[in-house]
Amino acid sequence: MPVTADALRDEYADAVERMAGRALDALAGGGGAVVFPDPPSTAELAAVRVLGPDVFAPALMDSRPPDPETATVVASAFRVFPPADGPGAHASPAVWRDWAAGRLAVQAGAVIPAVAAPERPPQGGGWQAWSLAMAQLSALALPGLEGPVHDAARRDPLSLSRGAVRALLRRDHRTAVRLTRWLAWSERAGVTLPVEVPPMLVRLRQIGDGSARSALEMALADRLSAESARHTEKPPPTEEPPSNADEPSTGDTQATGEPR
Amino acid sequence: MTDAATDTELLATAQRWSSRALHWLHTRYRTGQGDLPPDATVDFADPDSAYKPLGEAALAASLVLRDGVAGARDLEAARDLMDLCWRQLHGGDLLYERQLRHMLLTDPVETYAHFARVGYRHQPLEDLLDSFTRLRAPNAVELLPNRRLAVANARRVIGLGDRPDWTSLSAATWLGALPEPWAVDWSTGYSITHTVFHLTDWGARPEGLPAAVRDYLRDWLPVWVDIWLEVGQWDLVGELLIVDACVGAPVCDSATWDRLAAVQHPDGLTPRDTDPVEDDPAEAFRDHEHTAVVAVIAGTATLSRVLDASSATR
Repeated sequence: MPVTADALRDEYADAVERMAGRALDALAGGGGAVVFPDPPSTAELAAVRVLGPDVFAPALMDSRPPDPETATVVASAFRVFPPADGPGAHASPAVWRDWAAGRLAVQAGAVIPAVAAPERPPQGGGWQAWSLAMAQLSALALPGLEGPVHDAARRDPLSLSRGAVRALLRRDHRTAVRLTRWLAWSERAGVTLPVEVPPMLVRLRQIGDGSARSALEMALADRLSAESARHTEKPPPTEEPPSNADEPSTGDTQATGEPR
Repeated sequence: MTDAATDTELLATAQRWSSRALHWLHTRYRTGQGDLPPDATVDFADPDSAYKPLGEAALAASLVLRDGVAGARDLEAARDLMDLCWRQLHGGDLLYERQLRHMLLTDPVETYAHFARVGYRHQPLEDLLDSFTRLRAPNAVELLPNRRLAVANARRVIGLGDRPDWTSLSAATWLGALPEPWAVDWSTGYSITHTVFHLTDWGARPEGLPAAVRDYLRDWLPVWVDIWLEVGQWDLVGELLIVDACVGAPVCDSATWDRLAAVQHPDGLTPRDTDPVEDDPAEAFRDHEHTAVVAVIAGTATLSRVLDASSATR
C-alpha cells in the first residue's frame, strides 16, 4: 500500500532528523551524552541504527569513553532491528555502521552479540565510486574508532579530496559534507591533504541543505578540523640537533603549513 | 593509465577523433565556408565572425605540422589548411595593415604567430612588431592575465627579442593562485586551459609550468573533466584534455576520450555541447568550428607527448 509505505518512510525520516538534532544538542552542550526519549519509539530505534556510531559522538569528541546509557539504547535498537552481517554483507554501508556502533556499545558495557566486520572496506571503481562509498561511511570518522575503513581513508587522501571537490561542484551538499568530515578526520590523524579543509567548511555552511543530519555531519567536521588545527599549532619538538639551534625555524614551519 | 594496452587504446581513439576533426575543418575551408568576406579590410566590423575562427584553424593546423606526429594524409590537409588561411589573409598583408593601423590590438600578433610557427613569414609585420618592443604603450595594454600570456607566447614564437617575466605573468592568473579547486566555474575553466596553453606553448614546453601548478592540475583535472563531462560540455572537456597532455603522464582515463569520440558525427563534426546541432551548414560551422580545433590540438598534443616520453625512455 503506497500511502502507508510513504507515511512510514516519512515517520522514519522524521525520527532520524530528531535523533540527529538530539546528537547536535549534546555535542553543543559539551560534556554530555545524547538524551534519548524514554522509552524510544520503534522509529527512533531505527534512527539510532541509521546514525550508527554518531550517537556516541558527543563522548568521543571530548575524548571520553563511549557512555553506557547510549550503549543501552543501541542494544535495544539491535534487538528490534538485528544488525546485518555474514558473508557478502560487506557491500552495504549499514554493516560498517552496525559494526562500529556495536563495538562502541560493547566497549561501554552493553551485552550484545558481536557484529562481524565486513570482509573489506570499499575499494576499486575509481576515485568517484570509492569516495561515494566512503561518504556513506562518514559516521565512522570519529576519534577513538579504528579499523580497515580508517586505514583506507588514510591511504588515499587524494581520492577523498577529489570526491569532496566533485560533490561541492555538483552541489551534492550531503556528500560534500561527509567527505569533508573524512578530510578533517584525516588531517587530525596527521595525513597531509591536497586541499584546505577550513575554506570548504565555510563554503558548506553557506550552502547548507538545512537538515539536522547534515548539520550534525557539519558540526563533527568542524570539531575535527578545529582539533587538527590545534594539533598543528603545537610547538615543534625540541630534540633538534644542536647545530640547528641557532637557525630560525620559521622557514620550516611555513613550508609544512603551506597548502600545495 | 600506465599500462600499455590502455595507452594504445587511448592513442588510437585520440588519433581517430582528432584526424576526423581535422578533415572536417579542412573541408569547410576548402569549400569556402570559413572565408573572410571578399571586401574584408583591416577594420573588421566584427572580428569574431570569420577572422577569429580562421586564426584558430591556422593554430590547429600549425600544431599538427609542428608536432609532426600525424599521418601523411593529415599532414597534407594541415599544410593545405595553412595555405588556405594564409591566402585569406593576403599572405599576411591584412595582419600587417591591421597591426599598423591599430597598434594596441593584440589579435594580429597572436594570429601571425600561428603562421610564423611553421614558416609563413611577413617581414614588414615582424619589423613593426619588433619596433613595439621599444615602446611602453603596446605592452601596457590592459588585458586579462591569461590574455597577457597569449601575447607573450605569440611574441616568443615569432622570435621577437623581448624577455617577459614569465613567473609574474603566471602568478597573476587565476590558476597561478592555486585557488580552491571547488570554486572553479565554466568560464574560469577556459582561463585555466589557456594559461596552460600559453605557458607551455601548447605542450612544447612542459617545463614552462611551475611545479606547484603542475601538481595542482594533476590533482584536480580529473574532477573538472568529470563534472563537465557529466553536463556534456564537450568543448571544455576537450580543452582540459589538451591540458592533460601538457602536464606530464596523463591523469585522465581513456573513457573520457571514448565519450568525446562517441559524440562525433559521421562527417567529423564534434558538437560543442549537448544542444542540437543546426541543420544549416553555415550555422553548424560557426557553432562547432572551435570544438574541431580543440579536437585537432588534443590529438596532436597527446600523441606527441606520448611519443616524446617513449623516445626518452628508450
